Amino acid sequence: MSLALVSPALLVAGFVVIGGIGMSLVQSLGLLPLVGVPSLSLDAYLANGEELLIGTGLSLAIATASTVLSCIIGLTAAVVITQGRRTGRIVAAVSALTIPIPHLIGAAAIGLLISDAGIIPRMLGIPGTEWPDLVGGPWWVAVVLEYTWKESAFVALVVAAVLATRVARYDETAALLGAGRARRLRHVVIPLARPAVIVSAIIIFVYTFGSYEVAWLLGRPYPEPLPVLAFRLFDSITLTSRPEAAAVAVVTTAISLAVVAIGMACLRRTPLWK
Amino acid sequence: MSATLEIDALVKTFGAATALDGISFAVSAGECLAVLGPSGSGKSTVLRSIAGLDVPSSGRILVDGADVAGVAPERRGMAMVFQRPLLFPHLSVLDNVAFAATVSGQPKSEARADARQFLELVQLEGFGDRSITALSGGQEQRVALARALAARPRVLLLDEPFSALDPELRADMHSLLGQIRRQLNPTIVMVTHDRDEAAVVADRVALLSTGRLLQHDTVERLYTRPASIEVSRLMGGRIELAGEVRSGVHHSAIGAVLAPEGETWADGPGMLVVRHEAVHVSTLPVEVPPGMVGVEVVVADRRARGPRAEITLACGDGLLEAEVPASRPLAVGQSATAHIPRSACTVVPAP
Amino acid sequence: MAMLIPYGQRVTPDDPTVSSRGLMRPRPGGRTLRLTIAALLTVWFALPLVPLLLWFFADRWSAPAVLPTEWGFDGVTSALANGAVPAFGQSLALALVVAAIATPLGAMAARALTRGAVPFPRLVSGILLAPLALPAFVAVMGLTIVLLRARVPGVVGVVILLVAAALPYTVYTMRVAYAAHDLAYEDEARTLGASRWNVLWRVHLPLVAPGLARAAFLAFLVGWSDYVITVLVGGGTIVTLPLLVASFAAGVGNDAVVAVLSVSAIVPPLVLLLALGRFGRRYPTASYLHGPTASQSPKGSP
Repeated sequence: MSLALVSPALLVAGFVVIGGIGMSLVQSLGLLPLVGVPSLSLDAYLANGEELLIGTGLSLAIATASTVLSCIIGLTAAVVITQGRRTGRIVAAVSALTIPIPHLIGAAAIGLLISDAGIIPRMLGIPGTEWPDLVGGPWWVAVVLEYTWKESAFVALVVAAVLATRVARYDETAALLGAGRARRLRHVVIPLARPAVIVSAIIIFVYTFGSYEVAWLLGRPYPEPLPVLAFRLFDSITLTSRPEAAAVAVVTTAISLAVVAIGMACLRRTPLWK
Repeated sequence: MSATLEIDALVKTFGAATALDGISFAVSAGECLAVLGPSGSGKSTVLRSIAGLDVPSSGRILVDGADVAGVAPERRGMAMVFQRPLLFPHLSVLDNVAFAATVSGQPKSEARADARQFLELVQLEGFGDRSITALSGGQEQRVALARALAARPRVLLLDEPFSALDPELRADMHSLLGQIRRQLNPTIVMVTHDRDEAAVVADRVALLSTGRLLQHDTVERLYTRPASIEVSRLMGGRIELAGEVRSGVHHSAIGAVLAPEGETWADGPGMLVVRHEAVHVSTLPVEVPPGMVGVEVVVADRRARGPRAEITLACGDGLLEAEVPASRPLAVGQSATAHIPRSACTVVPAP
Repeated sequence: MAMLIPYGQRVTPDDPTVSSRGLMRPRPGGRTLRLTIAALLTVWFALPLVPLLLWFFADRWSAPAVLPTEWGFDGVTSALANGAVPAFGQSLALALVVAAIATPLGAMAARALTRGAVPFPRLVSGILLAPLALPAFVAVMGLTIVLLRARVPGVVGVVILLVAAALPYTVYTMRVAYAAHDLAYEDEARTLGASRWNVLWRVHLPLVAPGLARAAFLAFLVGWSDYVITVLVGGGTIVTLPLLVASFAAGVGNDAVVAVLSVSAIVPPLVLLLALGRFGRRYPTASYLHGPTASQSPKGSP
């Protein structure tokens, strides 16, 4: 009975996860060529060795910056949401507003805001020629900003929910034991919010690490983050490019899973984790 | 460490609803006051207002004579134990007890040494390094109590702290509280809906109903000298005899009852109330002892209550209640004499 | 500390606008800081939406001008001419189909997992949550070859992959709902003579309805927001709003069209979010389902 209830979902998720990773691995090792004889080789990994390495570094940097910024801004927003009254409600409303906006739309909006013809240089009266290359520039500012904008709202939502339901009574207890606002924040609120922040950080890191459309729209043509590299190889017409794209996918997956493992280890070390 | 507390004309409204309607009482240093009342009577609001967690709409709260209006909860020198222990899940047992000292900036080692003494006080020495998830419900509440005491509160606030525990544990906690009172003599305000708990733990009781203070008195007087029929009913009184006081004597279905020695009853209509525990039932023809009122009754109903039986006694239109050992052969329809001590009688205004 | 006020001198009642919650009373020092942070956060979250709204109504808005130089609805006309309506319809259909499949699948799995009768529960919930950790393009690149060889139509492939992507959200949301759901209600209904079917429709589903609504909303968002899976697996058979936005945003000079398409991609999920908020408020169990009920139950004797 239980198995019957769980199996439809399990079949779909299992097919996509195990099939996706497995078939990527099989293709990347040359075992499933479009034409010709299958033969085990690491050619697909070595063909774009340098780009793969640079892409990994770039993707890690983008994901790390976005995750750290999102957690800081999101945690601040969550504290403001739960501690302030009217101000809290306003911040809660505007952050909730950004949650259902697709990332691609967010990317388009960020482009209209901070490109050299965007609204911010216009408001500041800076001519487009003197405005730094935030979109498509060397520092990937627009990409990180878009991720941080969307994901900080996500952190705020998750952490504020935890603070409001689980932490409010502890906050009162701590106050009655003589802890002022700042000390309550340090000794009670932030420690109790830590598991929620870690979980959000894992989700954000993995998402921003493997996401294509924002980096493609707001980034520059070279160097390419891993998903953009994989996409280009996948769409390319040469016969060897499919296994090469699969190789990029395998590397991306391996790093994502490693990050999840590290994150879960951090989570288990927090005293709240059962 | 113990302070006096005075509540003066406390009013709290939530929108159109009035939660507290002008509550006033005083607690002297080292006294234990129980705020007793049914659910929704506003008793928790009183406690939260004292703690500073709720802001009263008007009225004053004085600690050692100083008004604490506008003082933040963390600066009031209160500590509160809630029904749920609310031990911080990210801290060990010892660090929970050391919390107040830690946040006041004491070095960790001192704070822990101090906390150990309080763990000992609640008979949990050696539990300090445990995680709070390794505690039973009773132990959790002991740690919460130790944590509150370690904050050296001027007033200790207890919000139904033992009502989630089973009766045996609750009795243990009551004796622990008694021991703590003997050792530290803290001023305590405890909210409860259990009148037996109030009787065991408190010196005095403030009885609340629908946001009003009905009576603030010793436990004994609350039982024997209720100020109103409402108090009598909330305290579990079952005997109510409508009648009239003429020249200081109450006349009702059970006849004339003279006021106790040294007390006078005002003339006019009034309800005679007396605790059923005070009513003595006799089946043998005996002299009415001095200071007692004898009433000829017929047993109208009998209800088994384990080792005891509750019986209803009819005297004309008037009904008396009494409790007798289950072994006594008092059957329905049997005649008997009820003896009521005059000192147990009170006349309250008719509702 | 507390000021000494002589007896009998009543303190003026609180300003009714001041919150009655003691911990939230404003205190002068922190207040300015908190207001500043709150203002900055509000700007942070709301600012990116401003250019979308301005461009929506801009016919002409050349470079140095701070506000549009010509107002109008050319963007709307142009978007309509470029297939905005069919794209909107396809987005809506795709998102609804994904929600309609992923919500019941997630709810069933969550129910089985919460009742604890599933073999290898950790592995099973791990697999159900795994799509969160798997970049969408990996699944696409691995599975296109399988889907092609099995002759699965592009649309079906898109739906399968999106349902898998939505499952972590629906399973998690429904596990939270079922964790707070008291099975005793269903037992009670059975003893009152309700059939299994009646229990499902009259007791079980109404009690978890707020959870189902939240799960369906999240699954809808997955389908509504997707770009990678639709473009690669769909192979052009379906053109959703994000695809249209991407093709215009990648070009130059399409700002007004991009803004119009973006706004139309934001409005439906926002309306659903508001509806969800109202639904949650109207439904009394919603708040209690989220309360810390699990830890509230008193522990027994040692």
